[in-house]
Amino acid sequence: MTKKILCVPLDPVHDVGIKLIRNALDKNGYDTTLLAPDLTMEAIVKYAVKDNYDYILVSRTLGYGVAELLARFNDLLDAAGVREKSKIVVGGKPITPELAAELGFDKGFGAQSTVEEVVAYIGGKEINFAQNGIQREKGSITKEYSYKFVNTEIGDLLSSIADKLIKYANVRTTDAIERAKIKEEIIVERDAEKRKVLSKKYAELCDRVIVDANENKLYPKGVRYLGDNELIELKRFLNDNHAVLPAKIQHNSSQPLVFKFLGSGCPTMDIVHAKVCERWGIDGFLIINPSWEARYEGLIDGYLTHENDGTITSFENIKLMRESLDPSTLLTVRAHRGLNTPETILLAGMAGADLAKINLVYGSLGAGTDPSRLAVDGVEAIKLAARFNMPFDIPGNDELSGVPAWKSLAGQLINVMVGIKLGAKPILKPLFCLGPHIVINGQMNKNYVDFNSAKIKALRSIVDCPIWPGEPIAFMTQSEERVQSANATSYHAALAATLGVDAITIASTDEAYSRGPICVTSRIDSIRAVSDAFKFVGNSKFQTTPECDFYTEDLISKIKDVLTAVNEKADLPEAINAGLLGNEEDGAYPGKFGKDTVKMK
Amino acid sequence: MAKALNKIMDALDIETYLVCNNAQEGRKLVQQLGEELNLGDLDIMYEEFDGYGMRVRLRKYVYKPGNKYNWLSENE
Repeated sequence: MTKKILCVPLDPVHDVGIKLIRNALDKNGYDTTLLAPDLTMEAIVKYAVKDNYDYILVSRTLGYGVAELLARFNDLLDAAGVREKSKIVVGGKPITPELAAELGFDKGFGAQSTVEEVVAYIGGKEINFAQNGIQREKGSITKEYSYKFVNTEIGDLLSSIADKLIKYANVRTTDAIERAKIKEEIIVERDAEKRKVLSKKYAELCDRVIVDANENKLYPKGVRYLGDNELIELKRFLNDNHAVLPAKIQHNSSQPLVFKFLGSGCPTMDIVHAKVCERWGIDGFLIINPSWEARYEGLIDGYLTHENDGTITSFENIKLMRESLDPSTLLTVRAHRGLNTPETILLAGMAGADLAKINLVYGSLGAGTDPSRLAVDGVEAIKLAARFNMPFDIPGNDELSGVPAWKSLAGQLINVMVGIKLGAKPILKPLFCLGPHIVINGQMNKNYVDFNSAKIKALRSIVDCPIWPGEPIAFMTQSEERVQSANATSYHAALAATLGVDAITIASTDEAYSRGPICVTSRIDSIRAVSDAFKFVGNSKFQTTPECDFYTEDLISKIKDVLTAVNEKADLPEAINAGLLGNEEDGAYPGKFGKDTVKMK
Repeated sequence: MAKALNKIMDALDIETYLVCNNAQEGRKLVQQLGEELNLGDLDIMYEEFDGYGMRVRLRKYVYKPGNKYNWLSENE
């Protein structure tokens, strides 16, 4: 027999939720009656006694005094004998299962309950929608791209530049490349004695600071070994706690994956932050290492924690993070500059990371690595990324030091072509930012949409390659004020979504606060903001002004000019040293770390 | 029973509006607030004096990376 259900909005105005439930129940063949809102409790009880309802669904949205009101309503139903023949169910934003039970209702549905959950309950097929754990598939950023150059003129220039670079790198080597080879042997070697010999060989190619740490446990200031107890406690924490009602940030399947940085310094803190962020829908993380790590030859081994910015990229730390994350969560390891680029990619690959970060142009600018050194190391790193089937993203953060967008994009495109030639899967990472060059030249004075959109359109007109704006989006538009920061992130995320990019990296609402570590509530703030932004824009588009078309054409033309000039040089290091991809006037200069350390094979 | 403060994962943020005559007075009030709440020194993440008072975002780090996190310990 068809179940009869009385739907009651016990609310002066709001009846949307109960209407949605009623519609769903109707579709499922139930016999429903919906009362009007703003009836008195006595009037509702009169309706309830008139017929033999199997269920009375009561909806209440407003929270003030809700417990008292519902308790009184339940008493009235009881006094009228309704409770003997009908099951009374309450739902609404202020309702919790505990409150419903306390007030004597048969069932309660709260703010996070779904219509399907209510229908399942009425159908006697109660489903536990409050699932534990993340249940999603791992996203892919690169799978739908052909990596074909649409702009063949630029493609030809890049091909020539990349060929010269690969040729340059193929006849040279560095200690970093040798260390990566030794490190691989160390990781796979089971014989302790042989491992010891290999470690000694490795140490011969390292700076004293690294040798002291690895051999004598004399760590750099602020670094300490993560004790066994701490690891056991972390494992227990992860076993005992699971994501409840995991959220999804995307509102439709074409919206970008959303990444966050991890780099508090402490892998334990990173992991618990990551677990919380996974629950709120984050698709992936980028491990950010300490800046000093890039300056030393060699990497420190072991489970290590660090009191300052940046989490140490040891094999053990990366593996611990990978194994602690949900299998569906993507993990990226930064290796875009420094003296350990090939080894970092090797460790990332062997520890099961999904992606890597390499940019052998940006990594050679500013406080970066010597261009010759990174040219050789970078090519090896890209080869390793290809070997481990790890797509690599190419951060364009040189824009933050004042490099114009077209030079940054030209540099990224060089990496793309090198990646393609070496069998890897590159990902373009233009900045969505208010960089110094933009501030000075006013491309964003009228709005933030046109110029950011132009970068994406320009790149798309050049190559069919995944695009992942970073890093993080809205860089230099965020303040320490929480709401402003969340808003800035969400607007840029909305723009990214409407442009159909593949992924974005988002900041936390305390990212602009530089005097302390990121905290988890600030991470949740910006995730919530982006989630709302994605819902707000849905499948709609931003309307750009004609200036966007002008900027797009201008960027393409200037990228071509830059690449033409780079191609006239003998090799990429020479072009970087000549300032063609960022010069002192821009605020960039060739990196110095690792100067004169490249050897001919 | 574990102290609630120890159960904070990393930091406690306070956002409020302090009625004051100028930013300097506002900052003094922030320090006083930290003492009155037994939180010690509070970091001022954001402040903006608007003529009537100061909107502030304050932070007290309970745990910084690399500390021993009591919420992770079984007995806490």
